[in-house]
Amino acid sequence: MIALVVVVVAPLLAGGLSLVVHRSAWLHRINLASMGALVTAEVVITQIVLRTGSVTALDQLVYLDALSTFILFIIGVVGLACSLYMRSYMDEQVARGMIAPGRLNLFFFLFHMFLLAMVVATIANSVGVQWVAIEATTLATTFLIAFWRRRESLEAGWKYLILCSVGISLALFGVVLLYYSSLHVLSDAGQGLNVTELLPVADRLNPQVLKLAFIFILVGYGTKVGLVPMHSWLPDAYTEAPAPVVAMLAGVLEVVAAYAILRVRMIVDHAVPFAFAGGLLALLGVASLVTAAFFILIQHNYKRLFAYSSIEHMGIAMIGFGVGGPLGTFGGLFHLLNHALAKSMAFFASGNIHRRFHTVEIGKVQGVAMAQPWTAMALMISGLALSALPPFSAFASELQIVTALASQGVPGMELAGTTGMVTVALSDQFSRIALVSVFLVSAVLSFGGLLYRITGMVWGIPPEGIVRGEIWTLGHLPIILLAGALVGLSMFLPQPLQQLLIQATTILVVQ
Amino acid sequence: MQGLSSIGSQLIDLCSALLLLTCFAIVAQRRLSACVDLFALQSAVLFVTAALVAYLTKSHHIYIAAGLTGVIKVIVIPRVLKKVIDHLNVKRELVMHVNVPTGLLICGGLVMLAFFIAQPIIPLGPLLTRDSLAIALAIVLIGLFTMIARQQAVSQLVGFLVLENGLFLGATAATYGMPLVVELGVFFDVLIATLIAGIYTNRLQDAFNSVDTDQLTILKE
Repeated sequence: MIALVVVVVAPLLAGGLSLVVHRSAWLHRINLASMGALVTAEVVITQIVLRTGSVTALDQLVYLDALSTFILFIIGVVGLACSLYMRSYMDEQVARGMIAPGRLNLFFFLFHMFLLAMVVATIANSVGVQWVAIEATTLATTFLIAFWRRRESLEAGWKYLILCSVGISLALFGVVLLYYSSLHVLSDAGQGLNVTELLPVADRLNPQVLKLAFIFILVGYGTKVGLVPMHSWLPDAYTEAPAPVVAMLAGVLEVVAAYAILRVRMIVDHAVPFAFAGGLLALLGVASLVTAAFFILIQHNYKRLFAYSSIEHMGIAMIGFGVGGPLGTFGGLFHLLNHALAKSMAFFASGNIHRRFHTVEIGKVQGVAMAQPWTAMALMISGLALSALPPFSAFASELQIVTALASQGVPGMELAGTTGMVTVALSDQFSRIALVSVFLVSAVLSFGGLLYRITGMVWGIPPEGIVRGEIWTLGHLPIILLAGALVGLSMFLPQPLQQLLIQATTILVVQ
Repeated sequence: MQGLSSIGSQLIDLCSALLLLTCFAIVAQRRLSACVDLFALQSAVLFVTAALVAYLTKSHHIYIAAGLTGVIKVIVIPRVLKKVIDHLNVKRELVMHVNVPTGLLICGGLVMLAFFIAQPIIPLGPLLTRDSLAIALAIVLIGLFTMIARQQAVSQLVGFLVLENGLFLGATAATYGMPLVVELGVFFDVLIATLIAGIYTNRLQDAFNSVDTDQLTILKE
């Protein structure tokens, strides 16, 4: 189990070294080395998990199955892309005086701690340890978001810290309740929060307590995912944070928080009718999708544009998980991956544009195609992928989710009808049609809004004083690779990845 | 043994009630440093409650959690907050979104709500600390309310800490403490969160010449 030790020790060691090293070149080398080690270890872990199904290690502290391995895979891919992108980006920030040279190592330290916390949250067996790690991500990223130390970034950082800490505290209450429910069933209280202990006895846990626990956990981690109505910190933080940090927030942190919800949902589904958790997830998903589509339409800041697009896509994934079944769940998981790739690429591209144009206003950015042709192409590709147009993999996952929604409907609907608390006058079929139309209309709205804004930025003539011509850096490598992955994944899903996805879906779908 | 446990149960109820009372006092208090003092008092009561539960149930790991509460929440965090307040130019809550009497009424309503939510699951808990779960939820809700109703960054922070105290009471009373590794992690997180928020408050003071969060309105649609 050396690989398991490596995924934890690599970021820890790199973080520690970053504190003592001051030379920028060495900081980058340490960063790339640790990310390389992390990704290699993940490949090894994936192979082991695919062979054995699940792994428990280090005195029950670590538990890995196909689902958590899949999340670990996303962390590795986006993390590596970010590390490559940071090479030129951070040096330029230092050269421009945005970041004092002496503070560069602090940035790397926090970055590694952020990574470490996410890895721990993914591989932890105990739901409690997972909570501690997710709160640690909040603490590590607060200063990363406000790293430019302007008034705006302080404001964004404070909002993020307060909202996410409160959300996370509510999730802790949910964890306490989960533990409360397990005490009557499990003999060894010390293990009462471990997924491996809870899953086998999940059908005997008290449903009332579990329902309450799930609501608290959904609201809590939902804040970190950025689901409406707990999303208000997200656009601010995404606008103010440096580009690699945003790519990590959007590409990985949202996924890890969604994973934490799914973990608890697996347990809850055994004791509570499937419609309860599924209905709640779908409800928040639809709310996020509709709200985000509206805000995408009126957006005049390109970073906020992509932030709202994140909310939209997490909403879509939540609808997939809420509808459930093999198709919906598979679509949801696949959508998490596609969104992570497309969104980190979008933020890399917008980072490049920001470096050239020094503004986040869409109206002031014109003619990117002339100024930075390759970045413009990357922006277009990520925009098309985020609009879920056919040659890209997001189209496939979104199609799966819509199909699942159309064929199964949202599970909560029938529940509301039968309990009599809410009288659903509409027929089941009608409500399905209504939901699918809401979904499609929102998707079309955000598609139009996103492409309209992006094309406005790409074409035209650059303003006076903007240097023309692409300046090649190492940062273009991850952009090209991500673009390749986005197109490639839609035509061909590599065998190990497909197996991982199918196994993860089986874990999540309760028969 | 029967007698001891019934007295113990009543003592724990008393302590929980005192915790709730300090919450109301915090809601009614406008001076920032007094809010911090009240928070320290609340944490001291929480320390006694946890020690009592540890003694009555003979579970040693709760002693550790109680000790950490004593050190971190009664001594370290209030000191940090006092330092932060020294740095500020406005040391009291000037304008509140909700005035004090209304705030107290709302908190009363929140307590009822908490009991209403917790009612169905209370009978499942251990006999000794059954009623504390509802009180813990009430404290969480009041902490949340304080964070919404106040504008000064420091009082929002105090609201957050009150919320954490409610969570700790819930974990200790309802479940006799969570597994030790989780408990330690939670303490670590709370401590770091307070330090970070303290540093932030200082930076806000420097950048905006105030820590009134109503002034944080640069970023919007």
